[in-house]
Amino acid sequence: MTKTPTNQNRTAQTAAIEVSQLTVSYGPVPALLDISVTVEPGKLVGVIGPNGSGKSTLIKSILGFIKPDVGSVKIFGENVANVKGKIAYVPQRGSVDWDFPITVREVAVMGRYGKRRWWKDLKREDYQLADAALEKVRMSEFSRRQIGQLSGGQQQRVFMARALTQNADILLLDEPFAGVDAATERAILDVLQATKQQGKTVIVVHHDLSTAAEYFDQIILLKQRLFGFGSPQQVLQPKLLADVYEGNMKIFAELSTTD
Amino acid sequence: MQRSRHPFLQSLFKRTNDLNWLEELQLDYGHMIRPLIVGTLVAIVCSVIGCFIILRKMSFLADAIAHSMLAGVIAGYLIIKILFGQQDPHLGAMLVGAILAGVATVAMVGLVTRFSRVKQDTAIGIMYTGIFAIGAFAISIRSIGQHIKVDIYHYIVGSVLSVPDEEFWLLAIVASVVLSVVILFYRPLQLTSFDPIMAASIGIPVLAVEYLLTACTSLVVVSGVQIAGVILVVALIITPAATAYLLSDRLDRMILYSAILGVLGFWSGFALATIVGASPGASVVVMMTFIFLITLTLSPRYGLLADWIRKSSAIPQEVMEDILGVILRFPQSTIPIEEIEKLVTTRNLKIRRAISLLARQRLIEISNNQVQLTADGRIEANRLVRAHRLWETYLEKTGTPETELHDIAHKLEHISDQATVAYLDDKLGHPLSDPHGSIIPTDQSQVGINRSFISSLMRDGNRAVVEQVGETAQMCGLNAGDLVTMDRRSADGNTWVLLDADGNFIELNHDQADAIIVRLTEQTTD
Repeated sequence: MTKTPTNQNRTAQTAAIEVSQLTVSYGPVPALLDISVTVEPGKLVGVIGPNGSGKSTLIKSILGFIKPDVGSVKIFGENVANVKGKIAYVPQRGSVDWDFPITVREVAVMGRYGKRRWWKDLKREDYQLADAALEKVRMSEFSRRQIGQLSGGQQQRVFMARALTQNADILLLDEPFAGVDAATERAILDVLQATKQQGKTVIVVHHDLSTAAEYFDQIILLKQRLFGFGSPQQVLQPKLLADVYEGNMKIFAELSTTD
Repeated sequence: MQRSRHPFLQSLFKRTNDLNWLEELQLDYGHMIRPLIVGTLVAIVCSVIGCFIILRKMSFLADAIAHSMLAGVIAGYLIIKILFGQQDPHLGAMLVGAILAGVATVAMVGLVTRFSRVKQDTAIGIMYTGIFAIGAFAISIRSIGQHIKVDIYHYIVGSVLSVPDEEFWLLAIVASVVLSVVILFYRPLQLTSFDPIMAASIGIPVLAVEYLLTACTSLVVVSGVQIAGVILVVALIITPAATAYLLSDRLDRMILYSAILGVLGFWSGFALATIVGASPGASVVVMMTFIFLITLTLSPRYGLLADWIRKSSAIPQEVMEDILGVILRFPQSTIPIEEIEKLVTTRNLKIRRAISLLARQRLIEISNNQVQLTADGRIEANRLVRAHRLWETYLEKTGTPETELHDIAHKLEHISDQATVAYLDDKLGHPLSDPHGSIIPTDQSQVGINRSFISSLMRDGNRAVVEQVGETAQMCGLNAGDLVTMDRRSADGNTWVLLDADGNFIELNHDQADAIIVRLTEQTTD
């Protein structure tokens, strides 16, 4: 066996997501510089960083929406450009067009779009899977509603249903806990934990340092460069946080003490 | 024979001698058949694509493509003329010229937006006027202008009444192509319009779909110019679609309604033009706009009228809460409706409706014009009284003059959410009475038999079991499992005096009382 394992010689599981030397730039300053992270399957990972740190660029690169300038993203060993539909994406509430003429049920069934040839009609089983997912997130009674007619927590659940319908091995959520009440936060966390128990990988872009330690197995600390990747204890260190958030180390000292 | 003012209807019903009524019709209106068919086809195609245009915020761009057509048509004409010396306009070349001009406009706009700080709306404005001007410039040069034997005028205002054969068949082909694309590519179009990131992640070539849509738009614009000319064609595309947008919650329905509204707009516009003798293009756009305005006003869900009705019929939360408060404070347990109307200061109609709503919400019961609080209603009314009195206490602490206390608290008491009220209660040290001496009701959302809460919420006579002793209260001598009774609060309110099972008095300050969690076993009535 060679020192650096290739795909053929790997005896361990293939990483769910392998980001290698990822660099993306829109202009003279790179949005992401030399990011290398390997996420094993079955982990619940939080992506933390201040505004403008490149979190959304990282997400878009992982989803294949953006092509990197340097480096690669591999999903289960294959380049992301060749791998379709393996990641279910739950967008930020702020970036959805809530006025779009589409109902709750239609959003849920979008999870099946990747499975059908684009010119063929959706089948009854597609709608059944969507209905089952809506049942799981307790949105069945709102099936026929246009998505703008829902409360904040309900809106979040519609996209969770879409992700569940897609039944992908990797779940990627963009700030799912922003602006939701405590009950919805609990509900979302339960779904994420349950998804993790099934062996799936969950990546969450998160905005709140104080809950990060509690929610995630691993944390990616990002600010254009990778400042840390590991358990919350390892990453949420005052020195690292002060570098990234340019704040007072004393504040971070409180946050980083884990119970 | 006298012709009535409506020859169409006349010919429908009169019996003729020499020509049968069908042939009469043909004679009078046969020349309209082709324009009607052309118009219907074009209206359908424009309004269907229009749905995607407005959802993707491409309306201004569509307008730009239309305006750039003029230059494209002229360029196409001139190129053919120069290369092949042909005098008569070559339709294919002009069409290609038009499409290329459209594509060039979109490309130029993209270049300007990407490589300079000029934003998209400005870039579009610059490009479409610029390219249009190139066309106008070219025609106006005397040496060129005299050679152009193409009817430019009709490109500006539309010429649905005189559509030559080749153009007719071209339109038919464009219509079938565009409609097939929309039907075939419906899901990719829908998904890329709604969530391009997810679309990319499942393998849809987002950029290719965008180019496809732009190409269809160019084709549609070229056909639409037949009816309405370059200036108005964008209305054919966006107005029926915007009207449909106000009427539907699903994209497939929106597209259907849009097509229907487009055809309706075209036919009514054409009829208007025929009756009045006006330009068909302008008449069609006038009717489409009119239909949009009517829908805007009357649409049941998204219209202005529906909105206004909803707002004015909504019963403000404050009125409901005031009524509950009045019922609670009334000395007798039931209160006649007329009394409520006297005591609550708002228009009578709203009070009656508010009372019905409260009854529906099971907060009150009505019988023989007498109103009574239900158990739930009592809890809710107490909650509001608690909020009111806490606000009064807070306002007094912050120096509000006594005469204004009640009125300001009356306004603020509607800010009665759990978190705010709990904050006030804690900040004020869990007061037992307000500045007027009235008792502040307990927090019934937290305090109840067998419920656990912080010990600072206990009232005199309450008995409880200690569940948890926090760090701050370690030195008090209480442990989990101890039975305690709340004896009293000190006169200044800052000390909680508890009696333990052995008869010892335990004194706690605010922080210590907050740090102990107890479970209530016995409660004296408030």
